[in-house]
Amino acid sequence: MADDVKVAEKTEKLESLRKIDDNLRLPSVPERIAFPKEIGVSAARMQTPAVGQRATRPDGRMHGLGQTKYIDDMFFPGMIHAKIKRAGIAHAKIKSIDVSEAEKMPGVMATLIGSEIPVNSFGPSLQDQPLLADDVVRHAGDGVAAVAAVTEQQALDALDKIKIEYEELPNVFDPVEAMKENAYKIHNNESNIYATKTIMKGDIEKGFADSDFIFERTFTTQMVEHVPMEPHASIGQWDANGRVTLHSSLGRITLGRADIARTLELPINRVRVIATVVGGNFGGKNEITTEPIIALLSKKTGRPVKCVFTREDEFISSTTRHPFVMEYKTGMSKEGKIMARKVRLICDGGAYCSWSETTLGKACILSAGPYNIENLHVDAYAVYTTKTMTGAMRGFGAPQVCFAYESHMDDMAAELGIEPLEIRLQNAFNEGSASPTGQVLEAVVVRDSLEMATERFGWKEWQR
Amino acid sequence: MTDIALIVNGENKTVSVPPETTLLKMLRENLNYTGSKLGCDVGDCGACTVLVDGLAVNACLILAAQAEGKEVLTIEGLSTLEKYHPIQKAFEDVAALQCGFCGPGMIMATKALIDQDQDLTRQEIKDALSGNLCRCTGYTKIIEGVVDAYQEITGKKIPATKPRVA
Repeated sequence: MADDVKVAEKTEKLESLRKIDDNLRLPSVPERIAFPKEIGVSAARMQTPAVGQRATRPDGRMHGLGQTKYIDDMFFPGMIHAKIKRAGIAHAKIKSIDVSEAEKMPGVMATLIGSEIPVNSFGPSLQDQPLLADDVVRHAGDGVAAVAAVTEQQALDALDKIKIEYEELPNVFDPVEAMKENAYKIHNNESNIYATKTIMKGDIEKGFADSDFIFERTFTTQMVEHVPMEPHASIGQWDANGRVTLHSSLGRITLGRADIARTLELPINRVRVIATVVGGNFGGKNEITTEPIIALLSKKTGRPVKCVFTREDEFISSTTRHPFVMEYKTGMSKEGKIMARKVRLICDGGAYCSWSETTLGKACILSAGPYNIENLHVDAYAVYTTKTMTGAMRGFGAPQVCFAYESHMDDMAAELGIEPLEIRLQNAFNEGSASPTGQVLEAVVVRDSLEMATERFGWKEWQR
Repeated sequence: MTDIALIVNGENKTVSVPPETTLLKMLRENLNYTGSKLGCDVGDCGACTVLVDGLAVNACLILAAQAEGKEVLTIEGLSTLEKYHPIQKAFEDVAALQCGFCGPGMIMATKALIDQDQDLTRQEIKDALSGNLCRCTGYTKIIEGVVDAYQEITGKKIPATKPRVA
């Protein structure tokens, strides 16, 4: 009994001590964060049959409590903030960069320009993109200099003090113009075309000769930005032993690690990349952006450096979905069978390659659609222009060509007076059909899917 | 520096910040309530939504000094040690959050809506949440979560939408 009282007294004393402690705390000291006690598995997660049931995510609770830590929610002692100066001019030669005024600004601890980076180029297939442009700016969102300062506001203020002299170069905004022989060569190559793919199947000339009707149309799509809710963010620390630790919102950390090691000229075992929860990727966070820059700023200042893109950075300097120009020519029989198809794809790659090669390949293979076409010819080109570079985004080129071949199908159905569903069923892949690249397809359900779907949503009733 | 006295999640706070500091920056950096997120910094995305005197506001659009003497509720103050908030539970149960970045703002906007204690329709829920963007879910699950939470809290029913499949 006596012991109980003692324990109670002790608890009370501790509680009162804790209260005093709370009063003494500086407001900037983190709050003890309260977690609810009832942390059992949600009943919705215990169900077994998956189809037709609600699905939950194991991390859903922490998201809902606001306890998930994204990069911007992490702070390290002594951490400073980096911001990147964007060119704001589409195509220009850099005559000089003067950061001396910026370095005198209050709070500024270091600046970085392209020529200070050991290997100033990166990219998943072609290493044609500089981390910070040092001789030529190839699109308005190109970074030209970086500043690290005590607060984000100080870093932003210092960016205005960076003086850069440009000599303007001709702009090339249209991919079709960029393909021409006399177009300005953005990367000093022989041509602005940096990747091509071709698929040839059957005899296209004979196919067109046998056709009763020939349809031609050009389709175009626009640039699309991923707009992940969380902007690109990373924190870099260069430690005293010459090792780099990067917390990053990167999606492909292994590829990123290799790229970072390459640009910093470090053996890969000196680079540690820690991936955290990503606040939306959709393909836009598949390659490095500022990671080596902040690593070098950390080396210069001896402090952890954080860089979070502003929403403006996100729009002008991160990758986007490729705009395509798609020229379709299809030969049809009277009955609505596709006899031959010729496709020419021009993929506007923007200023740098990024994932354009991969995208081009996918688009090329899928450009004929899920249809049996005996005579096929696809030519595809990826072209440099002086616009924001384009890269990976959900579907990798498939949505663009799907828009084109299905629109083309509808056009032809209307012209021939055949029902849109009928024309698709007549040409769709069957079991054992070969894809444009010769892959024999198994478990093909495109017909069943079309039939079931149209039956379910009342296609026939709607047609009447 | 400006001294600001306010109540955050039921506790009295006094913070000294530069006058241009936004409420969001003060909550995240001075008080370490990192649940409210910075998405766009111009009031478009709603990831920073908090309640000031019961009203949903974009914390990136108001200055910390404007919250002087007011009562601020962030996502961290929604659940208690004893109880998980019904909105959070509903959002978890229907998997309304995927990457989760819009979640705290979405949940706070939902709380402000349900607290108004009005009869709601699905359309009204959609209108009320139009200031909160999400790029993962396509909103369907979020609206489902809000409907579940609304029914749980108020005991009222919102009729289910007619299924499209016959």
